[in-house]
Parts: sequence; structure tokens; C-alpha cells
Amino acid sequence: MKLYEFQGKALFKEAGIPVPRGVIVTSSDSSGLFAPSVVKAQVLSGGRGKAGGVALVSTIEEAREAADSILAMELKGEPVKALLVEEKADIIREFYLAVTFDGEAGTPLFMASAEGGMDIEAVAEKTPEKILKLPADPLWGVTDYKIRALADFLGIEDKRAFADLVRKVWKLFREKDAVLVEINPLVLTGSGLVALDSKIEIDDNARPRLKALFDEKLAEQAAITGAVPEEDSGTITYVPLEGDVGLISDGAGTGMLSLDLIRDMGGEAADFCEMGGLTSPEVMYAAMDRVFSDKPRIKSLLVVLIGGFNRMDEMAEGITSYVRDHKVSIPLVVRLCGTMEEEGKVIMKEAGLPVYDDLLTAVADAVRHSGEGR
Amino acid sequence: MAILADRNTRVLVQGITGKSGILQTRSLIDYGTIVTAGVTPGKAGTTVEGVPVFNSAAEALERVEANAAISFVPPLFAKDAAMEAMEAGIKLIVLTMEGIPNHDVLDILAYASGRGVRVLGPGTAGIISPGKCKLGAHPARMYREGKVGVVSKSGALSYEVSKTLTDAGIGQSTVVALGGGPIWGTTQLDVIKLFNEDPETEAIVLLGEIGGGTETAAAEYIAGHVTKPVVSLIVGRAAPEGRSLGHAGAIIRGRAGTAESKMKALEEAGALVATTPARVVELIRKLG
Repeated sequence: MKLYEFQGKALFKEAGIPVPRGVIVTSSDSSGLFAPSVVKAQVLSGGRGKAGGVALVSTIEEAREAADSILAMELKGEPVKALLVEEKADIIREFYLAVTFDGEAGTPLFMASAEGGMDIEAVAEKTPEKILKLPADPLWGVTDYKIRALADFLGIEDKRAFADLVRKVWKLFREKDAVLVEINPLVLTGSGLVALDSKIEIDDNARPRLKALFDEKLAEQAAITGAVPEEDSGTITYVPLEGDVGLISDGAGTGMLSLDLIRDMGGEAADFCEMGGLTSPEVMYAAMDRVFSDKPRIKSLLVVLIGGFNRMDEMAEGITSYVRDHKVSIPLVVRLCGTMEEEGKVIMKEAGLPVYDDLLTAVADAVRHSGEGR
Repeated sequence: MAILADRNTRVLVQGITGKSGILQTRSLIDYGTIVTAGVTPGKAGTTVEGVPVFNSAAEALERVEANAAISFVPPLFAKDAAMEAMEAGIKLIVLTMEGIPNHDVLDILAYASGRGVRVLGPGTAGIISPGKCKLGAHPARMYREGKVGVVSKSGALSYEVSKTLTDAGIGQSTVVALGGGPIWGTTQLDVIKLFNEDPETEAIVLLGEIGGGTETAAAEYIAGHVTKPVVSLIVGRAAPEGRSLGHAGAIIRGRAGTAESKMKALEEAGALVATTPARVVELIRKLG
């Protein structure tokens, strides 16, 4: 779950990390607007400043104008529905500070740079030496010598205040099951360090144990976007694509392999739909429903199943009950093998549905059928 | 010999009384894996498929011998179970579950590295050394004993390629799946090192996918240290850019994680690069 800036800052405030005073407004005639101030679009995507989603204003008229124009914007496809209006900060220096994890090393990772501000991606690409990456031990936390290393790298003099802030960021990262806590910029002002922005992402896997936090933040987000708070999406990964061969797999690796083979054989996949390695008849049914409702014009459906944890009798049940409940008029190419495959093949046979064993043959047939249907 | 799991492996099944635990325990025993104990808190004194169940890993290890654990414990309790097994002295833990909170995975890995424990996963299909030991979900008929070592992030892709090898009469020494999560313990590089040192492995198959840099790291090691032939298949050539395709790793970040850049790095490292499982078989055959 990605948080809006104002939601992240509420967590900062709770954690004792200084943030500017600010209000959330959703229209330009709001009595919450004030000046001088900074008017900022609340969106989940990055690169907001460069796209004009942030305005410095000195009068209330300017604030209204900025609010009007920013609320009419769409940033990376996301319509702006709310603004955070904050006091201006007297910036002496700007830093970048984040904690996330390095999946390949399997450790938490602090990142810091004295080149704070908008374009940290460009700094990372052009001058990686200007970013300090410091792994941390999750069990020991952020130790004093690591904090000193960060402070020295950033050239921060008031090490005590910085240490206090870093410890609070770490505590927030751990307690809220964050996968990212980013402050860009973290600024030094006359009155100390202040987090001018926040980017926080909470681990969806932790949702069951942080139910209250998820409920609160998702309800806030739904109130802004007008959408219904999203339910736990389960294990299905669905990505719509451009072609006309529908694709469902029970593994990401075999799903990507099928995508490659479809293209190699002259076809184009209509989607990528992966169910996860431990799944059920209901998930199989839901995956077919997803593909057919999103891509009603596919010319064939290729289902690539190879069971380990996943049981082929259950997959066959899911497929056959979907076919019973819906009129499927396009060719269904099902490659089914692995755990409980004999049972699965019997269920498919009883429903009059063919089963493939060889992946290449299955892909070739699915692509051929898509050509015939054109 | 094989790597990681062989005839000397004695398995403790954590979460043995759950639906997955029962089904998979039966499948391990059917294959010939020696399962010595199961653990589910509160279920001591019962048995699953003839395997005695204990309340804790420590209790189990007082009574029976075990040197590896496979866990089917639900995601929110997986960390506790893994730490318990490590403290009881287990040195290899296979974490099959997906959806373990990332911070719990970080804790498990930190605890493991302090104790010299190897963690496979999370979200892994596990390990199979055909004819010797199955410590995972692998469908048995897709494997036969042989001399090709296979390492893959994706479980399903490892089954797929092993099936193609087996159908062509080419057996495997050990097949290892690493798991598709954003954080994982054992990497391709770790497994390639083991295969390189294993006298029973004559060729290595590296199965990778778009995203991340672990295949590139493996390529560097292959160039400098690996004396055995390596055949590689990287999937996701036709994947749309910048989109996550199920595995968190499978999202292209810059040029480093594309299929083309990985294939190039592996080719330059001296690996033979295939684009389909059938081609992997052809390349292995040519090695003679």
C-alpha cells in the first residue's frame, strides 16, 4: 500500500519526525488555503514537482489560482483530487534520506545523499558515488556508528538531532512494516531538521497484522479518489497486453516463457495472468473470469499449468466449472501436468475438453487458433 | 553426492498438520525422502502419514535426528517457526510459503546468517536430487537421476525445463528453485558455486528471468570460476517494460534487468544461451 504524502506525514508526526504545518484541501474555495504557502498535488506516483504539481505562492489569490490549476491536472494518468497546503520552510540545506531493503542481499538498506531535492533518480544514475548505501542489521537496528557514517557523509553538524531523527525513521520502518520510507528532501532549517516530503509504502503481506492502519489509510484514499477501498487482491497478477491470445499460468516463470514462445511463433498475448504457485479451483475460475471480462475479443485461451504445490484436479475443476457456467466459444488450449495430473485429466475428459502435455505444441495450437479467428 | 539434499537428509516438516503439510509430507515419503518428524504446536503425540508430530522443533530434535526443515507454516507465523528450527540446530530451511511479511524475511535471514544456516526461499518449490531426496513440491515424474544441475528462481519454470530434459532422457543431479519474492535467501550464485564443486554435476542449467541483477552476478562468477559448461535460459523477452509480472524481481529497472542484457552478460561469461526449453536440451546434448 502506497501512501499519499499527507498520510506519510501523519505517520511522521506520530513518530516524532518534524514536518511543516499543513492542511488538506480538495477545492480552491476551501477556507483551509493560506499564504504564503506551498501547494502540493497529492498523488501516488513520483515526479510530481517536475510535472508542475507543486507551487510556491505568496498571496491568497495565488494560492487559489494554484489550487485551481493543480486540481485540474492529471499526473502520470492520476487525476489530482487533493492538495496538501503547507507553510514554507527556510531551507539552509537539502538532503535525501531513505530506508528500504536490498532484496538480493537480504538486508535493510539506508540510502542518503547531500544532493536532496527532486531528481534523486538522476543522481543515482549519473553520480552514484553521491549516494551512500548502508546496509543495516534488522535485529540490531541502526547502530551509532552507522548514524555517524550517514551524518559524516551528509556533512551534518548537529549529530544528536540527526541521530534522533534516523532512529525514529528506523522505528517507523520496522513497526509499520514499511518496504520504503523516503524523505526527499529532508531539509535543515533555522529551527532544525524537517521532512518536507514523504514517500511511504507499507508491505501488503503485513495487512492481516496491521488491519487498523490499512483500514484507516485505504478509507482515506477512497474518500479522495471516490473509489471503493480495495480488497485484498489475492495471489493473481494480471497485466493486460495488446494481442489476441489469452494467457493464464500457475507460475510467473512459465507465464513469461509462454509469453516469449507465443511471440516466437508469430502470435501476441492478450494478457499476462499468473495465479501463484499454491492455488485453488476458485482462483482458476477467477483467473478465467478476469481474462474473459477484460479481453472479450481474444481468439484463443492458452492455460499453462504445471503442478508442484498446485493440484491439477483442482485446476481442472476450476476450468470445467467456468466452462459450464459460461458460453466459451473460442478454442481453449490447456496444458496440464504435474501433481494429481491423472485425476485432472479425467475431469477434463469428462467435460469433453482436450489436454496437452507438451508446452510447445500447446503454444503453437493457441497461436494457430488465434490466426484462424481473425 | 548431489547438492543440498541427498540420501543423508533427515527432514523435519513444520506445519505438518495443515492441508499443504499433510499432502506434501505424503508426496515426500512416496518419493523416498526420509521424514523423521513433524511439528505443529499443540499437536504432539499425533502422527501424519506415520510421522510423529511434536509441539516444537526442540522437542523433535531431542527424540529424532533431523538436519533439514521444510516449512508449510502460514505466513504470519513463518518467522517464529524458522527461528525455532534454527535454534534447535537445523542448518537448512526450505520456506515454501508466499506472502511472509518482508520484515519477517529480513529477520529470518539475519538470524540465519549469524548461525550459518542456509535458507531457501521464501516462496520456493524447494530442492530435488532425483533418486535420492525430494525436499519440495516437485512433481516426481518430471525428474530422473543424472548429471545436470538446474537452478531457477521460478519453481514452475524449473519443473518445465526438468520435464523437457527428462522427456529427452537427460537426468539431473539436483534441481533447486529459489523462490520469486522480493527478498530471498539462497541466490543463483550460491547454487552455482555448489554445483561447480559437486563431482556428480557435469553441466549446469541456469534459469533466470527479467528484473534484478542476480543472473548478472552469477555471470561474473561463471566467467571467473566455473569450470563446468553452463546453459542458460532467461524468460521474459516479450514482457512489457516496467511492469511487474508476478515475481517482484521481474520488473525491469534500467537496462540492467532486461532479458537481452542478461543473455549478453551470460554469453560473454562463456555460458550457452537458449531461448526455449527444447533448445536447452539441444545444447546439453551437444556437450556430449
